[in-house]
Amino acid sequence: MRKLMLLLAAALLVFGGLTGCEKEKPAEKTATAESAAKQDSAPAATEEAPAEKEFKIGFVYVSPVGDAGWSYAHDQARMELEKRPGVTTSFVESVPEGADAERVILNMARKGYDMIFTTSYGYMDPTLKVAGQYPDITFMHCAGYKTAPNMSAYFGRVYQARYLTGMVAGRMTKSNVLGYVAAFPIPEVIRGINAFALGVRSVNPDAQVRVVWTKTWYDPATEKEAAKSLLDVGADVIAQHQDSPGPQEAAQERGVYSVGYNSDMSTFAPKAHLTSAVWNWQIFYDHVVDSVRDGSWQSGQYWWGLEHGIVDIAPFGDMVPQDVRDEVLAKKADIASGKVAVFTGPVKDQSGKIRIAEGEKAGDAALLGMDWFVEGVVGTTE
Amino acid sequence: MYAELVIPVLAATIQAGTPILFATLGEMFTERAGVLNLGVEGMMILGAFFGFLFTHWTGNPWIGVLMAGTAAGMLGLLHGLVCQVFLGSQVVSGLALTILGVGLADYLGTPYVGVITEGFTPFAVPVLSSIPLAGDIFFRHDALVYLSYVMPLLFWFFICRTRAGMALRSAGENPAASAAVGLNPVRLRWMAIFAGGFLVGVGGAYLSLAYTHLWTNNMTAGRGWIAVALVIFAFWRPGRAVLGAYLFGGVMVFQLRLQAMGATLPSSLLLMLPYALTVVVLLVSSLRGGGGNAPAALGVNIEPDE
Amino acid sequence: MMGYRVVKRQEPLNWGSFFIFLVALVLSLSLSGAMLAVQGKPFLKGLYLLWDGGFGQLYALEDTLLKTIPIFLCALGVAVCFRMQIWNIGAEGQFALGAVGATWAVLTFPAAPAWVLIPLMLVCGAVAGGLWALVPALLRLRLGMNEIITTLMFNYIGILLLQYMVYGPWKDPASFGFPMTPMFPVAAVFAPVVGRIHWGIVLCAVVAVALWFFLYRTRLGFELLAGGENPRAARYARMPYNFLVVFVLVLCGALAGWAGVLETSTTLGRLQSNVMAGYGFTAIVVAWLARLRIPTIAVFSFLLAGLRVGVENLQLELQVPAAFGGIIEGLILLTVLAGQFFVWFTLQPRSKGED
Repeated sequence: MRKLMLLLAAALLVFGGLTGCEKEKPAEKTATAESAAKQDSAPAATEEAPAEKEFKIGFVYVSPVGDAGWSYAHDQARMELEKRPGVTTSFVESVPEGADAERVILNMARKGYDMIFTTSYGYMDPTLKVAGQYPDITFMHCAGYKTAPNMSAYFGRVYQARYLTGMVAGRMTKSNVLGYVAAFPIPEVIRGINAFALGVRSVNPDAQVRVVWTKTWYDPATEKEAAKSLLDVGADVIAQHQDSPGPQEAAQERGVYSVGYNSDMSTFAPKAHLTSAVWNWQIFYDHVVDSVRDGSWQSGQYWWGLEHGIVDIAPFGDMVPQDVRDEVLAKKADIASGKVAVFTGPVKDQSGKIRIAEGEKAGDAALLGMDWFVEGVVGTTE
Repeated sequence: MYAELVIPVLAATIQAGTPILFATLGEMFTERAGVLNLGVEGMMILGAFFGFLFTHWTGNPWIGVLMAGTAAGMLGLLHGLVCQVFLGSQVVSGLALTILGVGLADYLGTPYVGVITEGFTPFAVPVLSSIPLAGDIFFRHDALVYLSYVMPLLFWFFICRTRAGMALRSAGENPAASAAVGLNPVRLRWMAIFAGGFLVGVGGAYLSLAYTHLWTNNMTAGRGWIAVALVIFAFWRPGRAVLGAYLFGGVMVFQLRLQAMGATLPSSLLLMLPYALTVVVLLVSSLRGGGGNAPAALGVNIEPDE
Repeated sequence: MMGYRVVKRQEPLNWGSFFIFLVALVLSLSLSGAMLAVQGKPFLKGLYLLWDGGFGQLYALEDTLLKTIPIFLCALGVAVCFRMQIWNIGAEGQFALGAVGATWAVLTFPAAPAWVLIPLMLVCGAVAGGLWALVPALLRLRLGMNEIITTLMFNYIGILLLQYMVYGPWKDPASFGFPMTPMFPVAAVFAPVVGRIHWGIVLCAVVAVALWFFLYRTRLGFELLAGGENPRAARYARMPYNFLVVFVLVLCGALAGWAGVLETSTTLGRLQSNVMAGYGFTAIVVAWLARLRIPTIAVFSFLLAGLRVGVENLQLELQVPAAFGGIIEGLILLTVLAGQFFVWFTLQPRSKGED
C-alpha cells in the first residue's frame, strides 16, 4: 500500500513539473502575444515583429460551425477572409448569450484583436459593453440594433430572398397549404415568414402558410417532428427558419417539397429541395474589413440585401420548371434594382386590418420591430 | 380535417416513444439486478453519437446500432467499475456518468454536426400493414421500431421465465442469498449493467439513425431522465414501460400538432407537459404504493465480506 | 483481485482524503489531456492554457471569482441536502425560480430605491426558490416520492416557466420582440465591491459564516449533522427528521435562488433564458467532492469555476469544443468516487495458503 502511494506521489510530482515547465508557446496561426495578454489593456498591440502587423479578426458564434446553418454561413465567410495575406482569424463557437459571451469578447479584445464580429442578437449588450472599454477595436454586431462610435450593427435583408422562395413554393404547391417550421417568435423570424407568405400569395392568392414554433435553433428531432405535424395537416411544401436540415428530411420522406435556409440544403433532400434563402456574408465582410484597414470605416447600421448580393437564393432544384425560374429571377432583378420592395402596401394582417397602406413601403423601423403576421398566415406570434 | 389527424398522430407517437422505450427497458434491466444507473442520459447520447459515427463510416446502420449499444454499455461498465469495485455511491456515480457522457458525446461529435447519413428508413410490413387503422399506426415504421415491439416481450420472457433471468433478479432482491446458493451476484450485475446500457444506447441510436438522420449535441434533450422516471412509473415491469413510453412520445408530438392545427397556447407551457406528467404519474404511483415494487437491494452496493 | 484481498479499515482514512483527491485530479487531467491528444491538439499546452485562462491573469481571477459566487451558494445548499442523504438535484430549477422571483420584485416596484429593492429581490428570490424546493420535499415526506426524479423534473418545469415569463407577460415592449425583460434599473443591480467583484461575494461570506454557526453552534444544526448519517437512529432519538428534510431542501432552494438573483442582476441586468448556465449541476459535483466542509466547498467552487473560465481560453486558442469542461468535471467526480474507496478500505496481500 505504501509503495503504491509513493508511486502515485512521484507521478504527481513529475506531472506537476512537466506542466510547470511547459511555457513555450509555439507560433500558431491564431497566436496571441503573451505580452499583450499580460498588459490587461491595449487593443491592437504590436508585437516586436517588423513590417507587417497581422490583422486579427475574431468571430463569436452562437452554435457549432458545422451545423450547415447560421454559424456555418458566417464561418464560410471567415475562411474566405483567412485567405487574405496579412490577415489571421479565429473563432469561438457555441458561446451562450449572456455572461459567457461578454467574457469571450473581452478575451479577444485583450489579446489584441483588431476586429471582432459577434454573430447573434443576444451578444448585443455584451458587445456594446466591451466596445466601450476598447475604443480602438472595431466591433461588428449581427442581428441587433445598438451601435457605438466603434461598433456597428449589421444584418441582411434575407426577407427579400424569402419572398422569392415564397414565389417558388407558391407555384409548386398543389394543396395550397404550406408549412413553416420556425424557431422563436422574434421579429427577424416573423419578418421572414411574412415575406415568404407575401411571395406565396403574389402568385397563388388562395394558399395559406401554417406556422409551428419549435423554440430551438438547432434540434433536428424536434424540427423534423414539427415538419411532420405540418405535413399531417396537408402542407406539401415545408419551409424553415431553423439551422438544422431536419424539416428537409421530413419533406423528402413524404415525397413533397421543401425550402431551405442559411445555406443550400439540397444535399439533405435532393428530391424535395426547391431552393433556399442563403447568406453570402463574404461580400459584406470583405467590404467591412477593407474599410477598417484603409481607415474609411464608419459606425452605422448596415442592412444590405439582394442588391449587394449578401443574400440570395440557392440554385433551383431540377423539379422547378423553367417558367417559374424565369418569373422568380425577373422579380429578383426587380428587387435588386430597387424597382420593387417586398413590403409594399396594401398589406393586411391576420385580422384583416391594413398595416401597410396602399402604395406605401414599410420603413426599416417597422420591419425591425415586426410582431404581426400578414393575412394568409395561420399561427400565433406568441 | 381533424379526424384524419388521429392516425398520423398515433403513428408519430409510436416513433417518438420508441427511443424512450428502449432506454426505459435498458435501465429497468439494470435496476432489476439491483444497480441504479442514473447515467442514462449520458449513455443515450453517447449511443446516439457512436451509432451515427459508425453508420457514417461503414454505411450500414445495423453496425451503427451495434456500436451504439456497445459504446453505451462500456460507459455503463465505468459505472460498474466505480460502484462494484470501488464501492462508490451509485447515485453520484450515475450523475457523474451523465456529465461525462454528455460532455464526451458533445466533444467528439462537434465535427459531425450538420452531416447527414444513411440510416433506417420506414417500410411497410407486408400483410400486417394492410390492416385498416392498426396497419397504418403500427406497421409503417422502420426496423428499429419493429424491434421495439418485440423487446418488451423478450424482456418479460427472459426475466420471468428463464433461470438466467431469475438469477439476475436474485442479485437485485437479495445478493447475500444469491451468493449463498452459489450464484455470483457481482458478475450478474456486471452483465446487467452492460446489457441494460446496450439497450439504452440503441435508444439513443434510434434518434440519430431513424428518427432523424442527423446528429447534434443535446439531441436526447432529457429523454434519458424521463426513462429513469418511467422505470418507477412502470413498477419495474415491461408492460407498463410500453404504456409510459408512448404516453410521453404522445405528449411531445401532441404539442407540435396543436400548433399546426392553429392552437394559440404558449408553447413554453405546452413543453412543460412531459415533465409535469412525469411528476403526476409518480404521484399516482406513490399513492398506490408504487415504490414497494422496487428490487429490494436496488442502489445497495455488494460489499466484500471477507 | 489477483493477489490482494479487500479489507475494511478500522477507521476511515482522514489525511488520505486530500491526497486521494489530488491523485484523482491528476488522473482526470491526464485522461482529459489524452482526449486532446486524440484530436491532435497539444496536450500539455492545453492544460497550461486551461490554468492560464482560469487563474493565470488578474482578470481571469476576477472572472473566476465572479463565477464562484453562484456555484458556491448552490453548492452550500446541495451539500447540506446531501448530508441528510437527500439527493436534491434540483438546484438548476431553484436557481431559475430565484431569478424569476427577483425579476418579479423589480418589475413590480421599478422606482424603488436600492436599499428597498435589493433586500426585496433577495427575499423574493429566496421565497421563490424555497417554494420550488418545498414541493419535492413534501412529496417525499408525505408520499415517499423519490426526490431525485421530482427535483429533476422540477428543473425542467422551472426553466420552462422562466422561458414563458420572458416570452409572454414580462417581455420588454422596447426589445423588438426579443424574449427578455426590460433592463433593470441601476437600483436593482448589485454594486461592485472590489474591481469587478460585486456585493455577492460579501453575501457568500455572510452565508458561509451563518451556516457554520448554525451547524456547529445550534442544536438543530447538530441534529442535522448527526441525523444525516443514520435516519433510523435519529428518529429513535426523536430528532426532528421530517422537519430537517423540509428545512434542508428549502434552504437549498433559497440559496440557489439567491444565486439566480445575483446572476440576473449583475451579469445580465435583465432576465432572459440564458441566465441558466448549469451552475446547479456543477454545484452537485462540488457538494460531493467537498462534503459539508464549508472552506472546502469554497475551494472546490473556485476550482471548478476556474475550470469553466479556463475552458473558454482553450476554445479560443486551440478550438477545443466547449464540452471539454464537462468531460473533466465528470472524470473528476468519477475518479474521486473511485478513490474514496481507499478511505474506507485497504488492500492486503493474500498469504500463500488462502484460496
